[in-house]
Amino acid sequence: MRRGFDLRRARAMAAKEVRHVLRDPFTLGLALGLPVLLVCFFGIAIDFDVRDIVTVVHDADRSRPSREFAQILAASGYFHVRGPAEGRGFLSQLDAEQASSALVIKPGFGGDLLSGRGASAQYLLDGADNSRASAVLGYLPGVLASARLRMLPADASTPPAGAAALKTRFLYNHELNSRWFTIPGLSVVVLGLLSILFTALTVAREWENGSMELLLSTPVRPMEIIAGKLAPYLALSAAGLLLLYLVARLGFGVPFKGSHLLFAGVSVMFLLATLSQGLLISVLTRQQQIAMQLSMMTGLLPSLLLSGFIFPVESMPAFFQYFTMLLPPRWFMTACRGIFLKGAGPLELAQPLLALALLDAVLIAAAAARFKGDLEP
Amino acid sequence: MTAVGITTSGVSKRLGRTQALDGVSLEFAAGGLNGLIGPDGAGKTTLMRILAGLLRPDQGSVAFSAGGRKVPFAEVRPTMAYMPQRPSLYPDLSVAEHLEFFRDLYGLAPEVYAPRAAELLSVTRLEPFRDRRASQLSGGMYKKLGLMCCLLQSPTALLLDEPTNGVDPISRREFWDLLYRLASRRVLIVISTAYMDEAERCSKVHLLDDGRVLSSGEPAALLAAEGAAGFHELFLRRADARRP
Repeated sequence: MRRGFDLRRARAMAAKEVRHVLRDPFTLGLALGLPVLLVCFFGIAIDFDVRDIVTVVHDADRSRPSREFAQILAASGYFHVRGPAEGRGFLSQLDAEQASSALVIKPGFGGDLLSGRGASAQYLLDGADNSRASAVLGYLPGVLASARLRMLPADASTPPAGAAALKTRFLYNHELNSRWFTIPGLSVVVLGLLSILFTALTVAREWENGSMELLLSTPVRPMEIIAGKLAPYLALSAAGLLLLYLVARLGFGVPFKGSHLLFAGVSVMFLLATLSQGLLISVLTRQQQIAMQLSMMTGLLPSLLLSGFIFPVESMPAFFQYFTMLLPPRWFMTACRGIFLKGAGPLELAQPLLALALLDAVLIAAAAARFKGDLEP
Repeated sequence: MTAVGITTSGVSKRLGRTQALDGVSLEFAAGGLNGLIGPDGAGKTTLMRILAGLLRPDQGSVAFSAGGRKVPFAEVRPTMAYMPQRPSLYPDLSVAEHLEFFRDLYGLAPEVYAPRAAELLSVTRLEPFRDRRASQLSGGMYKKLGLMCCLLQSPTALLLDEPTNGVDPISRREFWDLLYRLASRRVLIVISTAYMDEAERCSKVHLLDDGRVLSSGEPAALLAAEGAAGFHELFLRRADARRP
């Protein structure tokens, strides 16, 4: 019955929405101030680089080499070495969580080393904190390598010719600076949630204050209402994203190697997807309270936990790997990391671009299909 | 202007557990004011929403005519205006901004809009309040703004759901004067009210109670037939009869 699309009516809806936003300092502050505040706050707080791991050294050898070995561990900067505990003290210190690791050097360490038989020491690590334990495991080879270099005669430190050797070099983020990776990730999570909330509240608000009843009796069509609601909030959340970009680049010194045009394009596609998700929620619930709760549920936890921000998608069970494909933040996260740190082009990002385009189309179509043109419950 | 008519036959509608309408058959014709009279909960709003196409009847049907010819709803809809009972304007938009918003929704050309807006603002005496936000208007002014938004497109059919509810007596009289002017232009006007004194201002009244039509006709003839002095008395008598 009501087909077609009238640009003038869509524009009128958009202009009205802009007036609402401009007259509501709360929304404006929410859109522009809050993301910057949150990203700065959590960007400084969250640090995946594990440092100052309290390590108790139990040195039963008390030789020069054993002391030197403990010193090399301390000098690496990752470990906070505490001085030799007497007796079995290091175990109780681990139990009491006063230390998270212990280095146990048995008698004869120095002698073994000097005689060329090869010396070994024991490293005890508190495995209760998974992420810290795996970070420490990552540091140990480096420490061992430098110990080998400094404590053994030169000829012994080079592996014999023909033997396999593995040399690791970190690409794109040489120092593994975790801020380079948390700041863009946090931005995706914060802005994704906010943009869902914007639209989730707006249609529900029209239902709650009664204006929807009047609106539905005019010639305006669902698609025009949807377009009129998406456009202003797209502009608003894009402005929020621009601010976050400036914070990341200027405030946190995150490098940007890719194309700004591509970044703008993929950002618009992502925001369109989350805004449409909010619109769909609003169309379905018609109540601000419920819309808000649903937005938090579908917007916050999945983008925090399943987008690959903290936990890599590749290590999730197969079902969840497929499930994450339905989440816009997952694709935007991939695209952001690619563009920021690797300078990826449209060809490398074909998959996220295609997925976001598909999600945009499906979510907008769903919101339009579920948009009711009448007051039937 | 083509005269629009609406006929409902056996319209029933259930909302949740309440039978809001039960076999309502009525005829509304252009020219003159059609009053839907009944106490709160009689089913007036449900019937209005069905006439506006916002609810579908469970049973029965609604037929539309234009110039005596039967037409589908889609043909009447673009020139039909509906004013809901509950507040439905935007609190943070001004009087002028509301008019501009509805101008665009109805796709009015500037040369049509400008004189009409000026006329409406002067008739409703809202001109001095053009820049006042809807949330700061008095009850009467708010209702008049709602009516203005409906009248911008010069509708052929006007459905007003309790437009004078909560409005002071002087503003109510002004409102009715406005409606008389419109009725003389052969606009179909259906107005619902719970104010029984307003029933006598209509050219034809349809008495609704508990989802059913009590009777329908000219106010004076109806009262004479029931032997009641006024509509108050008529509804009070019914209420007493129902009391155990």
